[in-house]
Amino acid sequence: MANFTTDGKICIERELPVANEQHYDDIISRFDINETCQWIRDNNYGKVCLQFPDELLNVSAKIYEEIKKQIDVDLYILGDTSYASCCVDSVAAMHVESEAVIHYGHTCFSKTNIPVYTVLPKRELNVQGCMKVVASNYKIDDNVKLCLFYDEEFEHCKDDLVHHWFQLYSKSYIASVEMEDKPERFLGRTIRDKQGTIYPPDILKDCICIYIGSRGQTLFNYTISIAAAEWHLLDPESDRLEHVEETMWFKRRRYLVEKCKDANVVGILVCKLAGDQTKDIISRMKHLCKVNGKKSYIVSVGKPNVAKLANFPEIDIYVLIACPENDLYSNRDFYKPIVYPYELEVALNSNREPYFTHHVTDYDDLLPGKRHYCDIDHVKELTDVSLITGRIRETRIENNESGSQELAEKQNWALESIGSNLQDRSWKGLEQKLGETEVKKAEVGRKGIPLQYSNEPE
Amino acid sequence: MVNFTVDEIRTMMDKKRNIRNMSVIAHVDHGKSTLTDSLVSKAGIIAGARAGETRFTDTRKDEQDRCITIKSTAISMFFELEEKDLVFITNPDQREKNEKGFLINLIDSPGHVDFSSEVTAALRVTDGALVVVDCVSGVCVQTETVLRQAIAERIKPILFMNKMDRALLELQLESEELYQTFQRIVENVNVIIATYSDDSGPMGEVRVDPSKGSVGFGSGLHGWAFTLKQFSEMYADKFKIDLVKLMNRLWGENFFNPQTKKWAKQKDNDNKRSFCMYVLDPIYKVFDAIMNFKKDEIDSLLKKLGVTIKHEDADKDGKALLKVVMRSWLPAGEALLQMIAIHLPSPVVAQKYRMEMLYEGPHDDEAAIGIKNCDPEAPLMMYVSKMVPTSDKGRFYAFGRVFSGKVVTGQKARIMGPNYQPGKKEDLYEKTIQRTILMMGRYVEAIEDVPSGNICGLVGVDQFLVKTGTITTFKNAHNMKVMKFSVSPVVRVAVEPKNPADLPKLVEGLKRLAKSDPMVQCINEESGEHIVAGAGELHLEICLKDLEEDHACIPIKKSDPVVSYRETVGEESDQMCLSKSPNKHNRLFMKAQPMPEGLPEDIDEGHVNPRDDFKTRARYLSDKYEYDVTEARKIWCFGPEGTGPNILVDCTKGVQYLNEIKDSVVAGFQWAAKEGVMAEENLRGVRFNIYDVTLHTDAIHRGGGQIIPTTRRCLYACLLTAQPRLMEPVYLCEIQCPEVAVGGIYGVLNRRRGHVFEESQVAGTPMFVVKAYLPVNESFGFTADLRSNTGGQAFPQCVFDHWQILPGDPCEAGSKPYVVVQETRKRKGLKEGLPDLNQYLDKL
Repeated sequence: MANFTTDGKICIERELPVANEQHYDDIISRFDINETCQWIRDNNYGKVCLQFPDELLNVSAKIYEEIKKQIDVDLYILGDTSYASCCVDSVAAMHVESEAVIHYGHTCFSKTNIPVYTVLPKRELNVQGCMKVVASNYKIDDNVKLCLFYDEEFEHCKDDLVHHWFQLYSKSYIASVEMEDKPERFLGRTIRDKQGTIYPPDILKDCICIYIGSRGQTLFNYTISIAAAEWHLLDPESDRLEHVEETMWFKRRRYLVEKCKDANVVGILVCKLAGDQTKDIISRMKHLCKVNGKKSYIVSVGKPNVAKLANFPEIDIYVLIACPENDLYSNRDFYKPIVYPYELEVALNSNREPYFTHHVTDYDDLLPGKRHYCDIDHVKELTDVSLITGRIRETRIENNESGSQELAEKQNWALESIGSNLQDRSWKGLEQKLGETEVKKAEVGRKGIPLQYSNEPE
Repeated sequence: MVNFTVDEIRTMMDKKRNIRNMSVIAHVDHGKSTLTDSLVSKAGIIAGARAGETRFTDTRKDEQDRCITIKSTAISMFFELEEKDLVFITNPDQREKNEKGFLINLIDSPGHVDFSSEVTAALRVTDGALVVVDCVSGVCVQTETVLRQAIAERIKPILFMNKMDRALLELQLESEELYQTFQRIVENVNVIIATYSDDSGPMGEVRVDPSKGSVGFGSGLHGWAFTLKQFSEMYADKFKIDLVKLMNRLWGENFFNPQTKKWAKQKDNDNKRSFCMYVLDPIYKVFDAIMNFKKDEIDSLLKKLGVTIKHEDADKDGKALLKVVMRSWLPAGEALLQMIAIHLPSPVVAQKYRMEMLYEGPHDDEAAIGIKNCDPEAPLMMYVSKMVPTSDKGRFYAFGRVFSGKVVTGQKARIMGPNYQPGKKEDLYEKTIQRTILMMGRYVEAIEDVPSGNICGLVGVDQFLVKTGTITTFKNAHNMKVMKFSVSPVVRVAVEPKNPADLPKLVEGLKRLAKSDPMVQCINEESGEHIVAGAGELHLEICLKDLEEDHACIPIKKSDPVVSYRETVGEESDQMCLSKSPNKHNRLFMKAQPMPEGLPEDIDEGHVNPRDDFKTRARYLSDKYEYDVTEARKIWCFGPEGTGPNILVDCTKGVQYLNEIKDSVVAGFQWAAKEGVMAEENLRGVRFNIYDVTLHTDAIHRGGGQIIPTTRRCLYACLLTAQPRLMEPVYLCEIQCPEVAVGGIYGVLNRRRGHVFEESQVAGTPMFVVKAYLPVNESFGFTADLRSNTGGQAFPQCVFDHWQILPGDPCEAGSKPYVVVQETRKRKGLKEGLPDLNQYLDKL
C-alpha cells in the first residue's frame, strides 16, 4: 500500500506560517464557552466538531478542555480547513458523523447543511472615539442618511454601539450581525432603525455607509455588492474616515463578463462542499453554458493554484464556486481568468441587465426564490462582434426541432471542436521511434507515487 | 432623375466586356469628388450646371461641410460611346460586339491619408484607377502612396491633371511653362509606376502617356476636360493627318513652324511646341478674351470653336461665362468617359491577371478558374471589402465585387470571414443572401441578381462579417486575400459614456463602429477600458463623432489621444535565466536578445511567417540576418497571437521529452509576448532562446500546469536581465509649404522630438517638401501647431512608419519610459513600481 498513498509524515511535518499568535487568559468569556455549552445542551448533541482557523489552533486544546469540563460530549477539533477557514467544513464534520459544528474565528456567514454555532472573534473597540470621528465628518442632519456597519469582531459591543449611534443619528440605520436565516439577511447582516424594524438592503441606495473595521475582503465584498451612495471605512487604529471605491475593479469585471461571452469552454471550478445550494448553482451554471452552446467541465482540484489550473489549457475561463470571501477572483496570475457565478449569469443570461453597478458575490442569491434570481432566457442573438478578439462570435445553440441531418451535423461539429483543440497541439502522444532506440535490458524503475518517489533525485 | 434605369443597368451587367470598375484616387484636395461630379452630371444624375459644386459622392453631412471625402462612395453609371470612339478599343475583351453602352462603376475615395484604408477597400473591388493630380502642387505623398497601392493590387491607372483653371488664372503660367509642369507630372507618375511594376508584367504597359490619350487635362471645378484625342479630332481633318499620328505629334518634343508648315524635333526660333500651339493657345485665348472682357473677340472665338451659348447664359461674363464656354466646348464628362472606356480594363481583361493576387487557394481550382475567366456560370466568388451603414440602425450593406458566378437574392451561400481556414468551421456561416442591391451614391436600388465583374451590396450578411469576407457557393473555396492597409491604427483614445449606465449602448455602438470603418479598431482592454484606435487624429475624430451621433447615440467622454507602446530589449540577457516549476522538478534555462534590425518588420510584412517552410525560412534568416541555420530551423513559434514579431527558438541539444512540453512552452510564450513584464504591453523584436531544459521523467510532473506559468516567469526574467526598453510608434511626416515657412516647420518639429531627414524643392514650383520622422505621441495637435507657426502655409500628412525605442531606461525612476510604464500600470490596475526580478528568477 505504501506505494499508493502519501506518506502521512508530510502532513504532520508541514509548517504553516501563522500571522498573529496570541495568548488568551480569559478563554471562557472570549470564546463564549458557557453559551456554547448551553447550545449543545439545548439541542442535545452527542458529537460536535470544533472548527478552528490556523491562527487559533494554539488555543484549540484549551477550548476543548473547557467545554469538556462543563459538558460530556464527543468533541473533535477540525483544523486545516479544505478551502477557507471562514466557511464551515461540513464534509470534514461528516467524516466523524458529527451532528453540529462550533465555528471559531472569522466567518463569512455562508449557509451550510449542518447546525452551526458561530463563536465570533472579539476585539476591543473605543466606541465613543469612533463616534467622535463620524460626528466630526457628518453633522447631525436630517438630509444625510447614514448606515453603520461594523466588523463581526465588534459584535460583543453591539449594545454600546447601537446606543451611541442612534443617540447621534436617530434617523439612520445600523447593520448588525444576524445569525438567523431571515429573508432580509444579506452577508450575515440585517438593517434596523432605531425602533428595531428590519429593512431590506435596498434602503441603502441613498445612504452613506460607514464600516468600522479594517480593510479586507469583508469590506471589499460589502462595497461591491451593496448599492449605497458612498462607502467609508473607519479603521479604529487610524481614527480616520476613508472613502472606498472600486470603479477600476468593476471595469475589469465587465471586461471579464465579455470574456465569458467569448469563451467556448467553461470550467466550473468547485471549491466548496457544504450546502445544497452548491449543487444547485453548479447545475445552474451547467445549464447556462448549455443554453448558450458552450461546453462546460466541472473541475475540482482542491485548493486551486496557478499550476493546477494551467493543466487544462483548453478551458477558456473558470467560474469559481466558492465562498465570496475569496481572493482568487481578482488574482491576475492565473493563465485563464476566474469569474464569479454572477458574472457568468450576466454574460450568458440575456434576461439580466447587462450593466451592473454592484455585484452579487454570494451565489446563493442567484438561486430560485432568492433576491437576485432571474429566469434563464432562450438565446436570441446568434452572432455578435467581440470587442476583445475583434472577431465574430457565434452562439451555437441547441435546437430541439432540428431534423436528424442537422443532429448529425451538430455531433460532427462537437467532435470537430474537440478535434480542433487537439489538432493545434504538436505533441500527439508517445513517439514510438521504432528502430531508433537501442535495445536494452529491463532496469529497475522508480517506486512510489509521483508526489514523492522513494528514489527521487534530490 | 436619371437617364438610365435599373433594368438597363442590369442588362449591361451581363455584358461584362463593357463594364469598367474604377476608383478615383488622389492626394487630399486635388479635386477627386469635384471631378467625379462631371461624370455624374453626364450620366444625368445631377444637373450639368451644378457639376463641380455638388460633390455628389460626398454623401455625409460632415463631408459636405468640411469639403473632404471621408468614406468612399460608389455609383453606377451608364454611358454610350460614339462609333468613332469605339474603334479605339482594339482588344476584343474590352467590348462586346454591337454594344455602344458602357457600365461604369465608379468609387470616389478619400484623399486624406487618415482615410487611406477606404482607398485600399475601393481599389480591391475595381480594376482601374483615375489618378487625379493638382497640376499646381504636383505629385504629393498621398498620390504616391495610393498609386503604389494601386499598382500592387494590379489596378491600371490613368492620369488626370486637375485645376488647370488655377494654373491659368492664379499662377498665370506661360504655355511653355505649363507644358513643362504637365510633362514633369507625367514623368513623376511614370517613375512611381515603373518602380512598382514593369511593362513586361502581366498587366502589360502600365505607364500613362498623353499621346495615347491616357492622360487628361482640365478643371473639375469648371467642368471641362480634354485629352489629346479631342484636340486631334479638331485638327485631323484640317491637317489631313491620321488621328493617332496627330496625337503623337501633339505631345513631347514636336515643334511646328507655321510659316514653313514643317514639323521639327527641335525647338528653334520660328517653330513652336505643337502642344502649346494647338492645345494650349486656343485655351489661353478663350481665357484671355473672357477674363479681360474682350467682347468682340469672344463672339468670334465662340464661332470658331462652334460653341453656342444658351439664352439664359447670355448675360454672364467673367468667370461665370468662362465656365459656360469651356464646359460646352470641352465637356469634362465626355473626355473622362472616353479615357475610362478606352484605357481602363474590363473585368474580363483585369481578372485574368488579378486572380493570382486575389485568391489564396490553388490557382487551378473551380473558384480560381471562375475568377480568371470572369465567368458568370462558375461558382460564386465575391469579396466584401467594406460595410456601408443602412438607414436601419445597426445594420449594414456588405459592399463588394462579384469576381465569379452570380450573387442572387435568396441564394444560400457560404460566408467566410478572414479567419476561415478550408476544412474548418471557424468563421464560416451558411446563410441566405436576403437581398442584392445596387449602390448609387445616396441611393440604393434593389436588383434581382448580379453577375461576375460587377460591384454591388448585399443585405443580410453583415451579421456574419466584421469588416470583410468572402462569399461563395463553392464548398472547397479558399478565402480571397485580405487587404493590406498602408496605415495602422496607432492613435488611441479611451471612451466611456457620460452616464455610466449607458455602457451597454456604448458597447453596441463600438461594435457598429468596428464594422463601419475598414480600419478602426474598437478594443475592450484587460483593464475594462474601451479603446478606439485609428490612423490619426482626424480619423479618430470622425470615428468618435460617428460613434456618438450614429452608432451609440449617447453622449461620450473621451480621453486625450494616446499611443500604445511595445516592450522590447536592448541587449542580450546578462545571465542565463533559470526558472523552476512550482513542483521544483522542471527547470528552464533561457535568454532574451533583440532581433536584428529589419526582422520585426519582415515578420509584420509577412516575409518571414509561421506558415513558411522551415528550411526556406531558416535559409532566409541566415542569409539576411546571419542567424545560425540550425537554430533558425528550430523556431518554435511566433508571438503574440502566433504571428507577432517575436520568436522562440529552441537552442537545446538532446533534451529528452522536449517535444512533449513544446505546446506548454509555446502557450507560456504567447502569454508573455502578449503581456510583457514592464507594463503588460505587447513585446516586439525579442528573440528568446531556450538553452537547456531539465524535466521530470514522469509525464504527470511536466504537464501544462507546471510548464506554462514557469515559461512565463522565465521569459520575464530574460526580459528583465536584457535591458528592457519601450518602443513607440513614429510617423513619417511629409509637409508641403513655401520656402519662407520651412524655418517654422523646423521649430515645431524640434519641440516635438521630430527630425527632418529630407528637404527638397518641388521642381517647377516654389513649394518645398520636408520629410521628417515624428513620434506619434508628439503628433497630437501637430497640424494646428504647424499652421499657426507657418501662417497656415504648411500642411502635414502623417503616416505610421515604424517603431522606435523610446530613449531611456524604464527601470530608472524619473526617465521618460519609467513614467510611461508607471502610467500604463496604473491605468491597467497593476501594482505600481517595477517588476521584481527575484519573483521570476530562481537559484540553481
